[in-house]
Amino acid sequence: MTKKHTLLPFLITAVVLFVSMVVSIAVGSVFIPLNTFADVLKQGLTGGHSALDPSGVFLKIITDLRVPRTLLLALTGAALAGSGGAYQGLFRNPLADPFLIGVSSGAGLGAVLAIMLPVTATMSGLMSVPAAAFAGALLTVLVVVQLARVGKTVPTTNLILAGVAVNAFTSALTSALMIHSTGELRRALVWLMGGAVQTGWQPLLGVLPYMVIGLTGLVLVGHPLNVLQFGEEQAHQLGIRVQRVRWFTILLATLTTAAAVAFVGIIGFVGLVVPHIIRLTWGGDYRRLIPLSMLGGASLLLLTDVVARTVIAPQEIPVGIVTALVGGPFFLWVLHRSKAQNYW
Amino acid sequence: MKKFTLITTIIMAVLAISACGAGGAQTDAGGISLTDGLQHEVVLEKPAGRIVSLSPSVTEILFAVGAGDQVIGRDSFSNYPAEAGAIQDVGGSMGNYSYETIASLEPDLVIASGINTPEQVSALEKLDVTVYYLSNPDDLEGLYAMLRTVGELTGHSKEAQVLAASLEDRVDAIASTIASSKSTPLVFYELDGSDPAKPWTPGPGTFLDLLITAAGGKNVGAVLESEWAQISIEELLVQDPDLILLGDSIYGMTPELVSTRPGWDGLSAVKDGRLYGFNDDLVSRPGPRLVDGLEELARIIHPELYP
Repeated sequence: MTKKHTLLPFLITAVVLFVSMVVSIAVGSVFIPLNTFADVLKQGLTGGHSALDPSGVFLKIITDLRVPRTLLLALTGAALAGSGGAYQGLFRNPLADPFLIGVSSGAGLGAVLAIMLPVTATMSGLMSVPAAAFAGALLTVLVVVQLARVGKTVPTTNLILAGVAVNAFTSALTSALMIHSTGELRRALVWLMGGAVQTGWQPLLGVLPYMVIGLTGLVLVGHPLNVLQFGEEQAHQLGIRVQRVRWFTILLATLTTAAAVAFVGIIGFVGLVVPHIIRLTWGGDYRRLIPLSMLGGASLLLLTDVVARTVIAPQEIPVGIVTALVGGPFFLWVLHRSKAQNYW
Repeated sequence: MKKFTLITTIIMAVLAISACGAGGAQTDAGGISLTDGLQHEVVLEKPAGRIVSLSPSVTEILFAVGAGDQVIGRDSFSNYPAEAGAIQDVGGSMGNYSYETIASLEPDLVIASGINTPEQVSALEKLDVTVYYLSNPDDLEGLYAMLRTVGELTGHSKEAQVLAASLEDRVDAIASTIASSKSTPLVFYELDGSDPAKPWTPGPGTFLDLLITAAGGKNVGAVLESEWAQISIEELLVQDPDLILLGDSIYGMTPELVSTRPGWDGLSAVKDGRLYGFNDDLVSRPGPRLVDGLEELARIIHPELYP
């Protein structure tokens, strides 16, 4: 395989991501004509003021709403798809996704608990929901890992089963709490449906450290995951410290997805399906699959968000609903077209 | 079916009239300075002329105090009065407002209400939009205070005073009429009967509970734990309400459908045909139409007093 050939997928996904970002910034429920958009952007970058935007409201919409949302969702998509790809390799299971061992249900429980606290209904409690979601996600994963642990090792089957059981239990607890709550119910539900994307720059700054560390780390586990596909015994003989790779992957995937979910709400499907699309198109080498999934996940989430924001504008749909609605058929099309037999 | 119940529950919760104190009002030299329901000091140089309403109740109040012309944006569910339909929609389904649209309207005031969250208020403030958070009232006094606040914010203090006074008179009139009654009929108010084995009903502490009591009735749901809850048909058969009000008639529920539900033919209200459709919008939105709802309730609960 030539060098040029290995770079092509990266080039394609990077271009798709770039286009997705531009579309995500250019398009919204308020229509900004293309020439106005270009002029506002040009003037804004030089600190000037566009004559086509006398009140400055377009500039505000672009810089305070669309750009931070685009960046936050791009990172979220990258975290979900990258973690999903890594988990599919780690668990050697095509159904693995980043929420397999408790991040989403734990974050949901944390968020709903915080929403029910009276302090959250005040302005000073604004950060309590993301903070509680993040803590809930980490704690739940910790519980799952503890329950699945046998001595110093965590067998993957135990992890998956403990994850399924804890997810079910935690989600049921969340539902029970919601039944008992009153006015906060809607807020909780919106959060659980992935419609709680926070505005402005602070959420982005909040997730950035986790993303930088987590996404870099996940790219690096690609090689050990490749070796792991021969089986644990084999990998061990080939010099891979299986347990260490497992802990490392779980830690990185949990940190990135928990941080993303805390500020955006629960967004399903991206983490499951994007790695499969990449695998069907460019093969299952995890050194490429994980970074390509990140680029692809960012693009998919951005494009679905554009749909969510515009399809019935000025109403917006929680983006978590649209991911599966748009991503599902796309995935099925890729699956059907590839006519893959025994592709996994 | 379960999903539908959940969705209706959300609608209930959205419309839930929950607690929170109203802000104190004081004006200084020409400008307006009021503390809103989130303990924010909201300062306006002059009464707001370009207003966006984030909830149906706020829209109704704005029109009722004569500030309808100043409303330039409203949420998707504002359907009353009819004129509101022509105003720019700014979203609001499942809490998703289009902040872009609101910013592009360049309002000088956005009025949020009890259904809105601090996150939504904060998102707008980041766009340098002035937001007044109008807490839902606890009681009818709170309703009058709320109207006066909106009057002050919009430069319609006088109209708001007059409106509040007339509502108060109407409430007093109902109270004195009800006082002459010897009975306190037991009332079952159905919010959502899509699961006839356990329909949703307002519990204690809700505005509906208060209104049913003020209209000379006794709320079946008063014995429940939660503010909005599902009551078992068994409990309903034991309590055997004198009349049933169908708040879900705006979603297509009818007395005929109720009488075909299994087990419901054992209820006196069903046997006596004392089932009534009820416009839930009147009692679920914390605005001036609550008093219309109260009068309607009194007429249905005590037909003998309203010949």
